[in-house]
Amino acid sequence: MKRRVALLVATAALNSACFATRNDVRILQGDVLAMRGEIARADSARSRQMAGVATQVASLLATLSDSMRVTSARLDRLRGDTRTDLYDIQQQLLQIQELTGQSQRRLQELRAQMEERASQVVAPAPTPTDSTVAAAGATPPAQPTAPGPNQLFQLAQDQMRRGSYATARAGFQELVRLYPTSDLAPDALYWSAEAFAAEGNRTSSDSAYTEVLTRYPRASRAPTALYKLALSLDRQGKRSEARAAMDRVSREYPQSDEADLARDWLRTNR
Amino acid sequence: MAMLAKNRWGWLMVVAVVWLVGGWGRAAAQDTTFKEGVRIGLVYSPGTKPGVLIMPVGGDMADSIHTILSRDFEYGDRINVVALDPSAVAEATTAARVGTGPVPNYPLYAKLGVQVLVQANVTAVGLHVSVHNVVKKQIERVRDYPLLGVPLSPEWRLALHNAADDLEFFVTGTRGISSTRILYESGGRIWQVDADGANAIAVTTTGTAMSPAWHPKATHMAYMQFGSAGTQIVIKEIGGPTRILSSTPGGLNTTPVFSPDGYTMIYAHAAESGADLFAVNAFGSEPARRVTVGRGSDNTQPTFSPDGRRIAFTSSRSGHPEVYISDADGTNADILTTFNFGDQSYRGSPDWSPDGRLIAFQTQIAGRFQIATISLRDRSIKQYTSEGVNEDPSWAPDSRHLVFTSDRGGTRQLWILDTDSGRPPRQLTRSAIRRGARLGAWSPPLRPH
Repeated sequence: MKRRVALLVATAALNSACFATRNDVRILQGDVLAMRGEIARADSARSRQMAGVATQVASLLATLSDSMRVTSARLDRLRGDTRTDLYDIQQQLLQIQELTGQSQRRLQELRAQMEERASQVVAPAPTPTDSTVAAAGATPPAQPTAPGPNQLFQLAQDQMRRGSYATARAGFQELVRLYPTSDLAPDALYWSAEAFAAEGNRTSSDSAYTEVLTRYPRASRAPTALYKLALSLDRQGKRSEARAAMDRVSREYPQSDEADLARDWLRTNR
Repeated sequence: MAMLAKNRWGWLMVVAVVWLVGGWGRAAAQDTTFKEGVRIGLVYSPGTKPGVLIMPVGGDMADSIHTILSRDFEYGDRINVVALDPSAVAEATTAARVGTGPVPNYPLYAKLGVQVLVQANVTAVGLHVSVHNVVKKQIERVRDYPLLGVPLSPEWRLALHNAADDLEFFVTGTRGISSTRILYESGGRIWQVDADGANAIAVTTTGTAMSPAWHPKATHMAYMQFGSAGTQIVIKEIGGPTRILSSTPGGLNTTPVFSPDGYTMIYAHAAESGADLFAVNAFGSEPARRVTVGRGSDNTQPTFSPDGRRIAFTSSRSGHPEVYISDADGTNADILTTFNFGDQSYRGSPDWSPDGRLIAFQTQIAGRFQIATISLRDRSIKQYTSEGVNEDPSWAPDSRHLVFTSDRGGTRQLWILDTDSGRPPRQLTRSAIRRGARLGAWSPPLRPH
């Protein structure tokens, strides 16, 4: 019985919970509408906020893009300026190289002049004295000093320019004989070969070119001497020997101008 | 003197004419003593040029022959042509010309500053010329010069120029330059003109041609011609056929020049990596051999030394064009024209003088090109022009005169200057073509055929 009463109470309670009144529904609807309104307001506010953010972002992006463009332009200009500067530096380096060449020529002339003046300095003539003084070991009168390598080179070059090839050659050979370790010795030997060539003495010029290679293989004139020797062999119809010499220029002096010319020759004379 | 003393009027007339026409005679006769007081005027130095009087010529074309001979001597700049009115010396010259009667009045001529008398008569075969030494009072030379072709034709004029040059050699020891011609470019064609400005004729008829150059024996000429594959080097026999130098590949092939022995030709070939000079047998078929190592720079406008062992050329290897010098095989390259650090003006168009002493070139001064020479002995530079833009010098065979392009007259034309006397340049061409004339190349001495 007690169990039946409890069941009835529970059923009644359940029924009372399931049957809401119309007023409840209206309130609920009002709540829902209010909630929707709030949501809509919140959405539009968020949307406005988002739009604002988007505008800001777009503005920032535009600013950033402008900055990027300006920076890029600056970079381009900088790159261009750098390239121009580099080009200018390269040109200036080349000019300095050429000027160095000019200066070296001038220095060579000055050295020659200094040596010439030094050679002109002669000790004062000895005063007449008792011969016993000299016999007793007095300093003998100084002899004029021999021309130095620069002076000899300059004199020989002058003769070469004038077309006095034999005189020029004598000067160059004297330089090599007196100053074989001078910086100018390889040049002098080379120019003595050139003097022979100018006279049409091919055999002697070829020998002199070979001597440059033998005695001064590391001299700056060595590739020129070898290249000229190769051309001479080619002119004599000694093609295989010429080719071997050209190949040697290319291999042993790869950085020289003559190596470029030799490679070109080898390419067109296969 | 005795002859003229009989006729005082004749003597006065001669003096008056000499006074008016001027020249060496006037300078020699000038009173050089200074009077007391203020004096304004000029004192003329008689100079060292020998005074030559060309007596009135006998025979056909007499006036033309007299005019051409006088002009040739004048343009040579080594002879002072004494101008006298023919009637003033008629008495003395008539007797001498026909070879009868008294000899020329040598003392009178000596007084007028004449050292040499040239008597010329037209004969059936040409020109019979006697040269009198006024100082020694005797005839020193008699020679006949054949005059070829129709009077005033190019051949006839060349024969007469040849006579003038031979006479100049006899008088001065240096051959004249009138029997030469100059090649140049005008309107895309190659033209030639006599050294006195006569007989300008086009030698190419088709295509666009530039950079003319003479063969040392004047048997051929070379030039560059625009074609479908760039520009090629053309060798033309004078009065004969043309042929294209087979070794020139596609691309730009420019500024050809013959070696002094006439067998080798050097020209510039331009590719993407710059322009280099190439040497080739001008009349063979061997491959060309490179002679410059430009490494991206431009190397053009070669010119040979008279012995053929060296070349000068324009190169931009130092950053901007300068004149360089090297052996003919390309070794020993060295800058010739000096420049200061940072100097951006440039120099180019070298031409080696036939005597080997100088190289003429164009140099930029205040933005305009001017003609200058550089001595190969001490590298001293001498400038010759300053008016207008002056370019492309080319030496005459006497190593004294230069032909060059100048716009000083309003249009580009060829002009000739004398490097010794400093006399104002004379205009050689008067091309009516809009772009005028340029790129002159002076021939070696020409002989009449």
